[in-house]
Amino acid sequence: MVEEKEIDSVKKISTLLEDLLLLEKYIKDLFTFFPLPVCFVSPLGVIFEVNPAFEKFIGYTSYEVVGKPIENFFEKEKIETLTKDVLESGNIEARDMIISTKGGEKVDVSLFGQVRRNEQEETTGFFIGFFDLTKIKKTGKELQDTQVALLNMLEDIEESRKKAEEEKNKTEAIISNFTDGLLVFDDKRKVSLINPQAEKVFNINNKDVVGKSILELSVFPELELIVNLVGPEIKDISRKEIPFKGDLVLEISTIPILKGDGKIGSLIIVHDITREKMIEKTKTEFVSLAAHQLRTPLSAIKWTLRMLLDGDLGTITSEQRDFIEKTYVSNERMISLINDLLNVARIEEGRYLYKPASADMAPIVQFVINSYKDEYSRKKIKLDFKAPENPLPRVLIDVEKIKLAIQNFLDNSLKYTPVGGEVVVSLKSIKKEVQFSVKDTGVGIPKNQQERMFVKFFRAANVLTIDTEGSGLGLFITKNIIEAHNGRIWFESEEGKGTTFCFALPVKEEFTEFLEEF
Amino acid sequence: MGEEINKEIVTELLKIKGEARGVHFKNDGDFVLKEKGKEGIEKLEKELEELGCPIKYGKINQFDFYPAGMRVVSLLAIKKTFDWPDEKIVELGAYAMQVSWIIKLFTKYFFSIEKTLKSAPNIWSKYFTIGEIEIEEYNSSKNSVVLKVKNFNLHPIYCLCLKGVLLGVIRMVVKSQKITCEETECIFKNNENHKFLIKW
Repeated sequence: MVEEKEIDSVKKISTLLEDLLLLEKYIKDLFTFFPLPVCFVSPLGVIFEVNPAFEKFIGYTSYEVVGKPIENFFEKEKIETLTKDVLESGNIEARDMIISTKGGEKVDVSLFGQVRRNEQEETTGFFIGFFDLTKIKKTGKELQDTQVALLNMLEDIEESRKKAEEEKNKTEAIISNFTDGLLVFDDKRKVSLINPQAEKVFNINNKDVVGKSILELSVFPELELIVNLVGPEIKDISRKEIPFKGDLVLEISTIPILKGDGKIGSLIIVHDITREKMIEKTKTEFVSLAAHQLRTPLSAIKWTLRMLLDGDLGTITSEQRDFIEKTYVSNERMISLINDLLNVARIEEGRYLYKPASADMAPIVQFVINSYKDEYSRKKIKLDFKAPENPLPRVLIDVEKIKLAIQNFLDNSLKYTPVGGEVVVSLKSIKKEVQFSVKDTGVGIPKNQQERMFVKFFRAANVLTIDTEGSGLGLFITKNIIEAHNGRIWFESEEGKGTTFCFALPVKEEFTEFLEEF
Repeated sequence: MGEEINKEIVTELLKIKGEARGVHFKNDGDFVLKEKGKEGIEKLEKELEELGCPIKYGKINQFDFYPAGMRVVSLLAIKKTFDWPDEKIVELGAYAMQVSWIIKLFTKYFFSIEKTLKSAPNIWSKYFTIGEIEIEEYNSSKNSVVLKVKNFNLHPIYCLCLKGVLLGVIRMVVKSQKITCEETECIFKNNENHKFLIKW
């Protein structure tokens, strides 16, 4: 009986030992798995136990850590405070601290502490667990850096905004005080700004038009003309004169507002040229009047001199003839100048009337050349006409005016080509134009003056000494004649070598050609 | 008996009455593993097999009881196999604090030197079925204690091991860089008991 009891006891103890072993294994596995570094510290601050995560984190083995004072691994002052606090309060949470690893690294950690008590409620030590703050702090620092960067960017943006605001105010001040009317359109061709001058000219209010598209502006009667002129796409226009209500004359220009390669808007500039036009008109009227008044007596003088030269008024001596002939030539020049002035006045007044008729250019050119042959011959300048081999298409021209244009070209070549020079006149058909040119071996036009050749009264510096009597009106008149025929006029010149003046007139569209296109 | 070991000595040692907890063998195995690796354990176990005491350290249940003489065999075999000096056996004894789960059960007593010393006889009885430990003299002002171990005459090598264990325990409960332990009296030196003077 006693033996059986002993066997039972041994069995029970054996079972208990097995359970204890299993329990130990479980605790050990749990302890090994636990990912957070944990240690158990005596109330004196000596490390009793560390888990594998602690060993891994700190780089020391448990053998190197157990039995060592905790301050060997943590900040002395802070860990002493923490020890005191945890023993007093029972636990502490999230205390920032620096732990020193075996590799000499100082790592920011957040510590948690919990006391352990025995059956008599005596404090036997405390657990410490912690986690790495490096990544969190790094993230925090990155966030802080990002915040600083964002704040800097915001400051920059604010500064840029203020600058932009200042620039905008300046621009608005300039626009508001600009003597011309301005209409600013955005990239969608909607009015973004209109200055007071434009409001005044068009009798409109800023708030009524801002935000409206160019087409919507046509509902305002005063703006209809502008809308029709620039079109829905706000095409490029340069100094286009338009008569406005009453005597008002406006000069309209549009310019694109560009940014980089792109167009971000358009600007319409409205310049009031009423006064200039009035002055110009008055001037033209005066010139016209003066010219008319001068031409009548000059004509009388001409005929009187002619009669004297022709002996209708009796015989004159050779000396008298010489003087009268010189006077006659001078009078002729005066009449020519007066005619030029009258032509200019008519052009400017819009009264330079054209009588267009279908014509063949070849006989017209030949006619004018013939009238110049003697003069060219006297000056020993070779005049050559390269007549077209085939008949030219007909052109719609005012024959008298075109003759005048040809005369002006030939006049210039005659005047400014030295003795022994050569002048070649060409007439040909190119595409849908008839091109006429006069090429000479004259003095040429200085490069820096070529731009002004068609300007009224302009004469190149190098011809002023050659011919003191030129009016500077010939090319101006010629240009107006050619452009009135929808033609083109141009020249090529090199100083000292010669000049080629050209004009081209559009070929008259024949009804048969018109039909062929269908 | 010296540090010599052979089959006959082993047979004699295994005849010693009394038992020791398996944790002692666990301590030996872990320390050898730490110092010499797996090859060291294999070499040691082979030596023990040749001595006729085939201890398999991995299969020891640290909570169970084994012959106290077998622990002496383990210590002697370790010293012989690796030709370790005495200091290394002291170190092995101190290592018990690192690995022993039973010691962890006693950490509840280790919150002060006084409490630890007071609990010492109880702790001893958890480890051995033979011998006793007593506090001969404790001087808190001089930071010293004399511990007396009675009825414990296993083998002189155990004196080295005990020295290490006592050092390891005291390191846990006092904060000092200069802890020393000296065996002032020894049964094997014709004293009545073992006495250990510990200073810190």
